[in-house]
Amino acid sequence: MTLTAAVPVARRARLLWILAAAAVLLVVFGPYVLDRFALNVLTRAMIFAILAITVDLLWGFTGILTFGQAAFFGVGAYATAMLLTHVGSSPLMLALAVPVAILVPMILGAAVGWLTFYPGSSDFYATIISLVVPIVITQLIYSGGTLTGSSSGLVGYWGLPLGLEGFFRLAGLCLVAVALAALIFVRSDAGRVLTAIRNNETRCAYLGINTQRIKIALTAALAGVTGLAGYLYANASGVVAPENAGFVFGTELVIWTALGGRGTIIGPVLGAIGIGYLSAQLSGDLPFLWQLLIGSLFVVMIIFLPNGLAALATGFRQSRRAAVVPDLVARPVQRKAHRGDAPLLDIEKLEKSYGSHKVLEDITLSVRPGELVSLVGPNGAGKTTLMRCMTDGAAASGGIVRINGESIAGMLPNDIVARGIGRKFQVASVFESLTVAECLRMARTSLDAPSFVTVSDTLGLSQSAIDILKLTGLDKMLDAPVSLLSHGQKQSLELAMVVALEPELILLDEPTAGLTKTERTTIGAVLKTLTAERGMAAILVEHDLDFVRDISSRIVVLHQGRLVLDGTVGEVVNSDIVKKIYSGGHHG
Amino acid sequence: MTLLLDIATSAAILFIVATGLLTIFGVLKIINFAHGAWLTVGAYCAVAVGQAGLNPWLALPVAFIAGSVLGLLTERFIVRPLYSRPLDAILATWGLGIVIGQLITLGFGRDVQFTANLIPGTMDILGTSYSAYRIFALVAAVVLGLGFSLLMEGTRLGLSARAVIMNETLARGLGLDTAKIRTVTFMIGTGLAGLAGVLLTPLTSVDPTMGVAWLVGSFMLVMVAGQSFGALALACLLLGGAQVIVSTYISPILGGVTVAVLAAVILRISPKGFARA
Repeated sequence: MTLTAAVPVARRARLLWILAAAAVLLVVFGPYVLDRFALNVLTRAMIFAILAITVDLLWGFTGILTFGQAAFFGVGAYATAMLLTHVGSSPLMLALAVPVAILVPMILGAAVGWLTFYPGSSDFYATIISLVVPIVITQLIYSGGTLTGSSSGLVGYWGLPLGLEGFFRLAGLCLVAVALAALIFVRSDAGRVLTAIRNNETRCAYLGINTQRIKIALTAALAGVTGLAGYLYANASGVVAPENAGFVFGTELVIWTALGGRGTIIGPVLGAIGIGYLSAQLSGDLPFLWQLLIGSLFVVMIIFLPNGLAALATGFRQSRRAAVVPDLVARPVQRKAHRGDAPLLDIEKLEKSYGSHKVLEDITLSVRPGELVSLVGPNGAGKTTLMRCMTDGAAASGGIVRINGESIAGMLPNDIVARGIGRKFQVASVFESLTVAECLRMARTSLDAPSFVTVSDTLGLSQSAIDILKLTGLDKMLDAPVSLLSHGQKQSLELAMVVALEPELILLDEPTAGLTKTERTTIGAVLKTLTAERGMAAILVEHDLDFVRDISSRIVVLHQGRLVLDGTVGEVVNSDIVKKIYSGGHHG
Repeated sequence: MTLLLDIATSAAILFIVATGLLTIFGVLKIINFAHGAWLTVGAYCAVAVGQAGLNPWLALPVAFIAGSVLGLLTERFIVRPLYSRPLDAILATWGLGIVIGQLITLGFGRDVQFTANLIPGTMDILGTSYSAYRIFALVAAVVLGLGFSLLMEGTRLGLSARAVIMNETLARGLGLDTAKIRTVTFMIGTGLAGLAGVLLTPLTSVDPTMGVAWLVGSFMLVMVAGQSFGALALACLLLGGAQVIVSTYISPILGGVTVAVLAAVILRISPKGFARA
């Protein structure tokens, strides 16, 4: 298994380096064959290609549609030009301008990211902000007077003394470096987190991943990269203008990325260079027709070929899935230190209401390690709501939920997961565009920090998670894309992911719904082992009373938002109230 | 007094421009980024009517019809495949906007065009001399707003549209032809955008890219307003008013970004905007 896994990865890595070397050669020897016009146009296009890469990382990989990269680019360019114009262009200033052009956009990026990505923010909101930022920056430039040159921009400062060929090579080398770094990053274990966020952000949060922080960090880091591109541009072109920061330029970046192929890095690079070059060639003869053509092509592509020309050229879906089959390695469970002897979960007078309608009322419940508590009750009794109140500090409207003695009020799901709670949803919540192994690795992200450069050839999981994979046969399908799994397999995978988090308490919302009899028995056995032998606690929402009777150590009955019974299997199953509720009794 | 009139009329103009976008966003949950292009189309209808030597008022029905016919084609061929991909719909309509802009450039050239003012001169409002056309815009906005609430509250189409807004699956289950409602809504939205384009002509210069500036402003207002025309009117009044005040007392350039910045802040504090109010 190790052998088959290692070969394609190594070959892909080698291919990447060969490509990079070829690109470097092209860039270094390009000036010997290209005329002045081509050099000029291509230098510009290569700088813009760097921007297209950042758009691709944000939009193609992470799913954040942004028009704002132009603003960070403009800030970087203006920072450089202003420094060189107003302070003077000594070698010291030229050197100093590099960190300034990177840091200022990064700070702005971090601020914008903080504003944009708050818990519960919508995709639209990110797009709105990405429109506002370039508009504000452009207006600031206009109102900057002589400081920014207002509408005519800044011109006439002395940039790097490189000449046409020199700038071509510098821009090209920077582009190759950024593209290479981006490709290595997106193929690495850490890079897959971006795809996971695009796919299913809720699941990421419930795997203990702070998605907001990742998006903010990504925005800030990429703003730095665009700032560097701005530095290059300000030096190479010798002029900066308000249009460089404008939102129309931002939309052009998105168009190049879309036409080249979002989510491929190379596609957007080729898109930016190709369109930039062709535009310069053709816009002299037929300016409006060329724009018309680009616009029409863009519309058609968005509708019929959302993954761009790259998808057409390579059928990259297959090649991207070039199987990485890691070896499963059992890792010892990293037990969290316990404070005092408070119960694992302690709910006191919990309440949840929507307006005047009370969904949960006066729920008091505590769970200790090793217990398998089944939560039963008819539809609408509030079972799923109760689960939500245990995993989202903002959900409850009254009462206290404590985990190991600590109140979770105001905590985000990822904070609560970090405190030892794992939640499996009613409808299997996994990552459709990842493989089984990648999904499991996401579950480990908060425990074993993933590498930013490599794809690990081992996958360390707790023994319990490995057992689940073996029992359900998923251990043989680690390289299978999740989108091809059956309903039951997705349920099992999600269970394995949650168990891989090494939670102390696991919440399961109807884990056996829609499963076959055999699959049910398997999951039942797994749960019994987890609780009885491994000391985990579990709360299980379930309708199948026979199943509940077989595996539970305790049963809690919820009815019309109230906890009506809490006792051993025998006590509950034989009680009159349960018979009444379930046979339709007086409540209908 | 002039300031008050400025605020009221600016809000009215913003309202007129944003209505078409809100109509589409409210029912279809799609942001029509070609909105600016439709404004431009409307404005060029006024130019064309003027060049043909016809009565300038004739531009209004012409623009409405041109807008809705284009809207019909757009909904059918571009927007319909993208209902499940709202972010892609933004991009596709933006691309369409580029195409329309270039077509207009090919037809009319890229130069600034001028049209006959629909209502020239000034009139006296409580002793203040004020542009008669801006007063007319205020009246037009009120008529438009009232007309729309009448359409939504009082007609069968309005009822169906509201049903689609609230619960599209259920509406379809009840036998409403939701596809048709979407098409008609989109046509009304684009028709209104065309109309707004004509109404803008006396206030701004007409050129192929005139729509973009208005697009961003109305997009922000619609995001803040959510799905309600009342909320849109409120948003126009508050944000438009702030814009006038900032432009008058601080700087016209900063005034230009007031709407966008305030909208972003409002949405950050209350993600649903004014829709809850």
